[in-house]
Amino acid sequence: MAQLFDGLKVLELAQHVAGPFAGKLFADYGADVIKVEPPEGDRSRHEGPFKDDVPDPETSALFLHLNTHKKSVTLDVESEEGRRVLRRLIDDADVVIESYRPGQLTEWGLSYDELAKDHPDLVLASITPFGQTGPWRDYRGSEITLQALGGPMHLNGSSYREPLKSGGYVAQYHCGIATAYACVAARLRVAMGGKGDHIDQAIYEAQAGFRDRRTVYTTGYSYTGYVAKRQPPGSRVAMGPRPTADGYANIYAGGTKHFLAALDLIGRPDLKDHPDANKNIALYSEDFAAEVEGSWMGWLIQRDKRTAVKETQDIGLLGGAILTTEDLITDEHYRSRGVWDTIEHPKAGTYEAPGRQLILSDTPRQEPARAPLLGEHNAEVYGALGLDLDQLRSQSVI
Amino acid sequence: MANSNPLPLEGIRIAEITVVWAGPHVTQVLAEWGADVIRVEPITHVQPYSRGGERVSSKEVSRRTAETGTLTGAYVDCDPAEEPWNRNNAFNSHSRNKRSMACDIMLPEGKEAFLRLIEKVDVLIENNVPVTIERAGITYDVLKEINPRLIMLRMPAYGLDGPYKNYRGFGTHVEGMIGHHWLRGYPDGSPDETGEAFTADALAGVMGAFAVTSALLKRHQTGVGQQIEMPLAEAFLPALGEWILDYTMNGRVAQPQGNLHRTHAPHSVFPTQGEDQWIALDVATDEEFRALCDVLGTAELLADERFQTGVGRKEHEAALNQALAEATKSWVNDDLFHKLQAAGVTAGSVHDEAALMQSPQLNDRGFFEELTISGIGTHTYPGIMTKWANTPNHLRTPPPRIGEHNEEIYIDLLGYSREEYDDLVARGLVGTTYSEQLVPRTWLATQER
Repeated sequence: MAQLFDGLKVLELAQHVAGPFAGKLFADYGADVIKVEPPEGDRSRHEGPFKDDVPDPETSALFLHLNTHKKSVTLDVESEEGRRVLRRLIDDADVVIESYRPGQLTEWGLSYDELAKDHPDLVLASITPFGQTGPWRDYRGSEITLQALGGPMHLNGSSYREPLKSGGYVAQYHCGIATAYACVAARLRVAMGGKGDHIDQAIYEAQAGFRDRRTVYTTGYSYTGYVAKRQPPGSRVAMGPRPTADGYANIYAGGTKHFLAALDLIGRPDLKDHPDANKNIALYSEDFAAEVEGSWMGWLIQRDKRTAVKETQDIGLLGGAILTTEDLITDEHYRSRGVWDTIEHPKAGTYEAPGRQLILSDTPRQEPARAPLLGEHNAEVYGALGLDLDQLRSQSVI
Repeated sequence: MANSNPLPLEGIRIAEITVVWAGPHVTQVLAEWGADVIRVEPITHVQPYSRGGERVSSKEVSRRTAETGTLTGAYVDCDPAEEPWNRNNAFNSHSRNKRSMACDIMLPEGKEAFLRLIEKVDVLIENNVPVTIERAGITYDVLKEINPRLIMLRMPAYGLDGPYKNYRGFGTHVEGMIGHHWLRGYPDGSPDETGEAFTADALAGVMGAFAVTSALLKRHQTGVGQQIEMPLAEAFLPALGEWILDYTMNGRVAQPQGNLHRTHAPHSVFPTQGEDQWIALDVATDEEFRALCDVLGTAELLADERFQTGVGRKEHEAALNQALAEATKSWVNDDLFHKLQAAGVTAGSVHDEAALMQSPQLNDRGFFEELTISGIGTHTYPGIMTKWANTPNHLRTPPPRIGEHNEEIYIDLLGYSREEYDDLVARGLVGTTYSEQLVPRTWLATQER
């Protein structure tokens, strides 16, 4: 079956989340992705969570998830010989995704300008915390600190408490997708007869360009002179997360165009005649707000979260249930759509994993595949380059 | 360096029928890299939550809302004025570089214009409830007959089939429905304390741009377009992969994590001088912990038995965090940030919008740019999130007023005659504002009172 990226050769010199997720997007949709790991393996192999909570570089969920369909080779790039091999791998690639510190490749004599001399089609993407230039380029960054500096973190949480980061590694996943987009766009230019490029993707800058509130509210500040603030819980009448019989649901009723229908639904048609019923939510009187909120909470607490959402969707309200991972994986909607891949792995066993993001009518995604064992493809990849595996091993290069 | 390299999407024309945040973000990032994006938007009904044209609040309420720190729908100078739909931050933060064409696909005349547009574009992007596209009769199987090279991206919240097919929601509802809202809560709190995140829109934006560009690259080989279905929920799910695998491999249901990390401690935010000032710290190694204690002058923590190893610090994280918070609270936030970075500690201030716009790093890299909207003013906008070393790139044109490009699109691109075009305008189907009947200017009346 034809894939989106048939024939595209991607070299992944990146660790942890952002670069490997970019690599995964290429690999899952048909590119030939070679992942170069240090002898001890990608950082994500050591992070977990691990199968049965037993640390093992082959069973870290983070690694298993991020590296499907890739080939793994090990290489000690700290050695001269290792870097000679690295150069061979780069010269053979259409796209290279790397996450070394800024300037590292240049110190090794592998700057973009050097690499592109005989290879003008090359697309090199460098992912770093703060970018290749600027006064902070050598600063350290991680998920929480980059969300703090660049993203909407100051708005997550309650006005009574400390700010919260967004879940997991979303800043790095987001950055990985942005990088993959840039790489494909550059390949499109190459396909049209143009040149490759050196893509400089800072996680910080991706956060500053994050559509989750950040660009909207930065523009809002620019327009009004006011900054956004964390809000007190439950501050919007009949709107936002509330308890249900079995958890929480986040439904928008108060102040919306279907608010009167919502009053019918919750058994308070009498409130439709109240002078505040058609007002902006910010203008509700205290008495009216209390009446509505009380009846709304009472209605919700008698229903399961998904039932409450279904009944309110039926009258046109926006909303959703607040699901746990267990709710999610057992949910009939996702299951009926086949979003879960079943993966078989020699060390981690058989498990389900989130599969495709895209359903493509002309180039449907290939069958799922597991992530590689550390160095699983050394013989295949180095063999194809005509390198002597035993010699590499004796030089401690792999 | 001279701009010798063209933008990669020059020559690609895209039509969008998008609403709210996610769909418009896809076209934002495509337009930034050279695509000609035409926004198809009606003036005969108001697209909900898109241009700030519905339920417009008065100047007074707009100001009060902004003052309390809610900027979801803010107007220039907190003033909706005559045309709030051209002054709205949610719209104007994505729509630079785009063109606007007034066209209501639900009306016969609008559908005809839209189908003529489909012949002229490479890509169509929409993020409506699936039933809307079905009712309009513009599904991919219809459109590909008109233009077999068309790439159509559909971005429903949950999918083109399944029980939630026509569920309506924003990014925050999608984050709930895939487990993100639960995961990011306070470990000792409940989801109503977390505020609402629109992470789904951010992720779908870049993922949609990746998908469309990938299909363009494929089309270069095959000559044919295709439909891409990318539900917001499914574009987001993979970003929670390790939490999902922890359930499918180990049966563990993820609990709210807040600022916790699986192994690092400290890994949280700490108060500094002033109101609502925080610094995030992420200590992964003994070396970093030593450097942290050196800067903070907390030798006693370094000596404390409990905090000698990473495992120990994680085990006694609550006590450690409390002690560190005592030490950070007398610091000026920015001083501490730079001192810690200089000492090799992974630290980052929690920055609001004002602080972000002053960032020496972003400004050195030229992230923010100014745009002037005629009659509305010159403002600073967030720029382009990716740099290409050999392809300098800037914002090109300001956010379009509704219908701003009607004439050039109907007449020059679609080949309408002047008479045909004038007739559409005379009948109120094409224009540059909403009618008074459709949107009574109640907010202006309030102002006068």
